[in-house]
Amino acid sequence: MGIRKLALVGALAVASFWTLSASAKAEDVKITVWSLDRDIQPAPNLIKDFNNLKTGITVEYRQIQFDDVVSEAMRAYSTGQAPDIIAVDNPEHALFSSRGAFLDLTDMITQSSVIKPANYYPGPLKSVMWKERYFGVPKATNTIAMYYNKDMFRAKGLDPDKPPQTWDDLLAAARKLTDPARNVYGITFSAKANEEGTFQFLPWAQMAGGSYDKINTPGAVKALEIWKTIVDEKLASRDTLTRSQWDSTGTFNSGNAAMAISGPWELDRMVKEAKFDWGVALLPLPEAGAKRSSAMGDFNWAIFSKTQHPKEAFKVLEYFVSQDDRMFKDFGQLPARSDLAIPPTGQPLKDAALKVFQEQLQYAQPRGPHPAWPKISKAIQDAIQAALTGQMSPKDALDQADQKIKAVLG
Amino acid sequence: MKRLLLSISDGRGFDIALVSVPLTFLFMMAGLPLAYNIVMSFQEVDMFSLGTFLRPFVGLKNYATLFSMPETWPILKNTALFVIASIAGQFIIGFGLALFFWTNFPGASWLRGLFLVSWVMPGLVVGAIWNWILSGDFGVLNYLLRESGLITGNIFWRSDPSFSLWAVVIANIWLGISFNMILLSVGLSTISQDLYEAAELDGANVFQRFFTITLPMMRSTIGAIISLGLIFTLQQFDLFAAITAGGPNNSSNVAQYWAWDLSFRQYDFAQGATISVIMIVFVMIASVVYVRSTRHEVRG
Repeated sequence: MGIRKLALVGALAVASFWTLSASAKAEDVKITVWSLDRDIQPAPNLIKDFNNLKTGITVEYRQIQFDDVVSEAMRAYSTGQAPDIIAVDNPEHALFSSRGAFLDLTDMITQSSVIKPANYYPGPLKSVMWKERYFGVPKATNTIAMYYNKDMFRAKGLDPDKPPQTWDDLLAAARKLTDPARNVYGITFSAKANEEGTFQFLPWAQMAGGSYDKINTPGAVKALEIWKTIVDEKLASRDTLTRSQWDSTGTFNSGNAAMAISGPWELDRMVKEAKFDWGVALLPLPEAGAKRSSAMGDFNWAIFSKTQHPKEAFKVLEYFVSQDDRMFKDFGQLPARSDLAIPPTGQPLKDAALKVFQEQLQYAQPRGPHPAWPKISKAIQDAIQAALTGQMSPKDALDQADQKIKAVLG
Repeated sequence: MKRLLLSISDGRGFDIALVSVPLTFLFMMAGLPLAYNIVMSFQEVDMFSLGTFLRPFVGLKNYATLFSMPETWPILKNTALFVIASIAGQFIIGFGLALFFWTNFPGASWLRGLFLVSWVMPGLVVGAIWNWILSGDFGVLNYLLRESGLITGNIFWRSDPSFSLWAVVIANIWLGISFNMILLSVGLSTISQDLYEAAELDGANVFQRFFTITLPMMRSTIGAIISLGLIFTLQQFDLFAAITAGGPNNSSNVAQYWAWDLSFRQYDFAQGATISVIMIVFVMIASVVYVRSTRHEVRG
């Protein structure tokens, strides 16, 4: 109940904030942008640069916290105080577009000389779509791949230039690399009971022919069985069930795990902290020659349908997109574009890693898109946790998840 | 007219005016959200209808759905276990410490004050610290248990379904001990020493004195503490968020965390409100006990 009260107080605070700041300059068209970017991240800096161009459009920025993005946006939308532009996490995009809260940008995009769908990776692009129409523009993107400790590979007689290619290779390598006497686990990943668990598991299911709406295919069951083997044989810490990706990869950086599945957001910390030779490999496949797949993360830009100035808001988006080539250099984020070459950073490990992530991005698939994504995701998380704790067999757990998901899909 | 004015400046009207200020405040800050919450539990709430009050009423449908979910009963059972174990632990250890400091050895009051440090720490900070202590591979608790020979393999406090709830219980007991101790210390200091002297002259031993004097004299304090404890443990949210997030597989999920998860993670606000209403009923019962047990104090 404390939270509920807090939420109400928060809503009041937001409401009063908006009535106060509603008095704007008359000459310029005012566009408001909400995103979760901090001062060193893209949005506030791009907006500063845009305002300096003096285009007759003034952009106002407001930072919102990650956990509040959806609830703030919904509250603002339903009380008619939504901003013009918002950055929203990609699995939640469909929720808004399906309800008509976001503006259909398809016609504007066809006429635009800056925003071209062909320039984007297929995964991020799919996440802004609803019923074959574009309801947003990908802001940045990320995916997951496998980090591995080359020094440990050498020490255990494995070839550091040949990381595991298939799930069987991966299990074999993890068994060799696990060294309880030295507190080393073969691999680390995250099966946490939140979106991170789904984010990490779905690529495995997809590589084996499953998907969120067919989560109990034999391939997906096999994927969960491999995960269970990894945890049961203590090739990964049991805390995999409750640890975030960031904390799990922390154990890789400190030399307590030989491989780690995570994304490019780890790179800067790893360059600083990891005192060993490491590399990045594509996610191992169920068997050689199988279809590749990976997860897709990060935010999309969207324009609220209630905006007074759709044209001007779209111009702002066009400016953001025109600055995509600065994304990695200035802010360490990957643009969702396949047509942009990312210049080398001068840090060899990081540059090599980046190449792998860019290749992996070709296979990245969005979660959903579906308006009830959180419920679908919850069913998958529950299945992962039930199987890994041994309370259900992987098959039964995924069958149950499939039933729950089918109920949501209707 | 004059009588009315007089009554407002000095009389019944004045009393009513004074009482109405806190009552209005209470109504605005607690009553309205409470009523809103109860209404919401009978409605079909969609995230886009959050801003309006006119939502379709669905009767008891939310309650029916809630109790048909497979996780409901295990979570309610966890909540009961969490509350009972936390209160028992906090109370017994807190009472023990209060009795210990009651002996008034040099530095007792100073040490007692230090214990309050745990009480003033924010739950998330406490959670983060316990997170490290309870960590499976490198946790301090596992290290201590292993070195003292109590366990041979590491216990994964946060990730093993048979321990995860207890991990949070341990942290919550630690958090609540000092509060229990301080309140019980206050209760102990009000008991007259004459009673003990008289009992001692009559030949009553330590246990007899404890059970026939201390406990009965502390009855109202104990009642108050236990009902406050019930309210505080039912409010405990931060520790769950920081240590287990309700996992693995809901084995450490409790009603208050679940309500939040349903409302703000899965955007099922009606279902979240429904759980809150069920919890309100329990807290109401505790409040009645609390009010009844503290009523004696006013009379002296």
